[in-house]
Amino acid sequence: MPEGFHYVPPTDPAPAVVFENVSKSFGKQCVLDSVSLVVPKGAIMVMLGPSGTGKSVLLRCLVGLIKPDAGHIYVFGEDLTALDESRSADRNKLFALRRKFGMLFQDGALFDDMSVGDNVAFPMVQHTRLGTAEIRRQVAENLKRVGLPGVENKMVSELSGGMRKRVAFARAIALRPEIVLCDEPSSGLDPVMSATLDELIQELHRELGMTFIVISHDTAEARKISTHIGLLYKGKLQAFDTAERVLNSSHSHVKQFFERNTQGPIKVL
Amino acid sequence: MTGPLRLLESLGAVAIYLFAIVRSLFTGPRYVAETLRVADILVRRCLLPVGLAVAPVGAVISLQGVHIFRSFGAEELLSSLLATAVFREYSPALASVMVAAQAGSSIAARIGTMQVRGQIDALAVMSVDPIRYVVVPGLIACAIVTPLLNVLTTILGLASGWFFAVVLSGCDHGSFMANLYSQVSMVDLWVGMGKCLVFGTAVGLIAGYLGLRTSGGATGVGKAANNTVTYTIVLILVVDYLASMLLLRWGL
Repeated sequence: MPEGFHYVPPTDPAPAVVFENVSKSFGKQCVLDSVSLVVPKGAIMVMLGPSGTGKSVLLRCLVGLIKPDAGHIYVFGEDLTALDESRSADRNKLFALRRKFGMLFQDGALFDDMSVGDNVAFPMVQHTRLGTAEIRRQVAENLKRVGLPGVENKMVSELSGGMRKRVAFARAIALRPEIVLCDEPSSGLDPVMSATLDELIQELHRELGMTFIVISHDTAEARKISTHIGLLYKGKLQAFDTAERVLNSSHSHVKQFFERNTQGPIKVL
Repeated sequence: MTGPLRLLESLGAVAIYLFAIVRSLFTGPRYVAETLRVADILVRRCLLPVGLAVAPVGAVISLQGVHIFRSFGAEELLSSLLATAVFREYSPALASVMVAAQAGSSIAARIGTMQVRGQIDALAVMSVDPIRYVVVPGLIACAIVTPLLNVLTTILGLASGWFFAVVLSGCDHGSFMANLYSQVSMVDLWVGMGKCLVFGTAVGLIAGYLGLRTSGGATGVGKAANNTVTYTIVLILVVDYLASMLLLRWGL
């Protein structure tokens, strides 16, 4: 880890997520190169980096959609990488672990053939024994929380990009997960809409104590919401620490990224 | 990746897929409502095209057959040929081909679209097994709907054959009906239904597999749907021929 940025929270006995020397290659292309980091419980960790540097792969490894070639990923102490999806018991464990996550996908990944209400209700229908009336009430509450009251009966195709993202956010938090993963929440959104989503993340963090892991290349978003910041470039974790330390550092990659310079160690791919 | 390695990788992927399907069929959770919803969509989508495709076949058999049988003075036997052809061959094969064309392509396109839009990953992250939730309902729906459509196509094939033979060509209604079932037995009915069950299952399996393997955006979705139709129709026609040959050899 360059320039002493490896953050290990000394007082956190049970961190939410730990990456331990995680590597992943696709063919000859190394996408994650021995990434190690610790995300404390209750943090808002923003992982920054230019496009195509492995941020989304990091997130997909964390939910078990991609298996790393090497290293370990611990979620609340449970080694996710030790689980073999082809074995029934491990599969059940993996699904139980995934229930601790809510994920906002980059383009929402809402189900086109369902209404907005059914999309938001989907995790509740699958994983709870709540009655229809209670689910309907919670769907309305979640949609109101994301600033979209009364859109339950609309179809996904009737929504704008920003609305889709907010509905996807409502679905991601439907089961009140312990960790919410956001893949580029502000991409494709206007600044006001981005700010609205940022405030929503802060509100949920404050009210429900959820841990957020946000993948982004938006430095303004990182400054506004993060408690921790990481910077990934060419598969290597260049920096990872509390937001305050990262923002005040003179680390060459960090400085270039936050100052939007074309000159520096980060080259345009 | 070299040719043999790619083949090995594909065979491995097919084996894993089939294992996951079998496991999902015999263990819970099961998505009965989703299966019924898909079956309902498939019936609606297939009913008219299947009817339109099979009805002319019965008519053509009658139309062609009546002249030949008449020249031998055996036109009362026309219905025996019609019933055997429709029960054993045309109805199961055409019902299956139409299910492949209509249902197979739509299932592959739906799953392929879900794949390229990240919805399959979203299901997995929400701890919902995509094979159980998306593929198995389509597979079961195809396996149920194809034999059901076969019943309809058999009735339509016989009715259109009767119409052209009796109403348009002047054959005797009594002898037509009397000889209709003289050469067919329950075995023919079950052979036809069995073929439909197998072909319907194959359509569901292939559509699900190709749908899940979709990549490359809209072009990939189109390719998955197109390949599903091509592979399943070729498979149906080849297996139908082989099955008919074997059954005849076994005296069934």
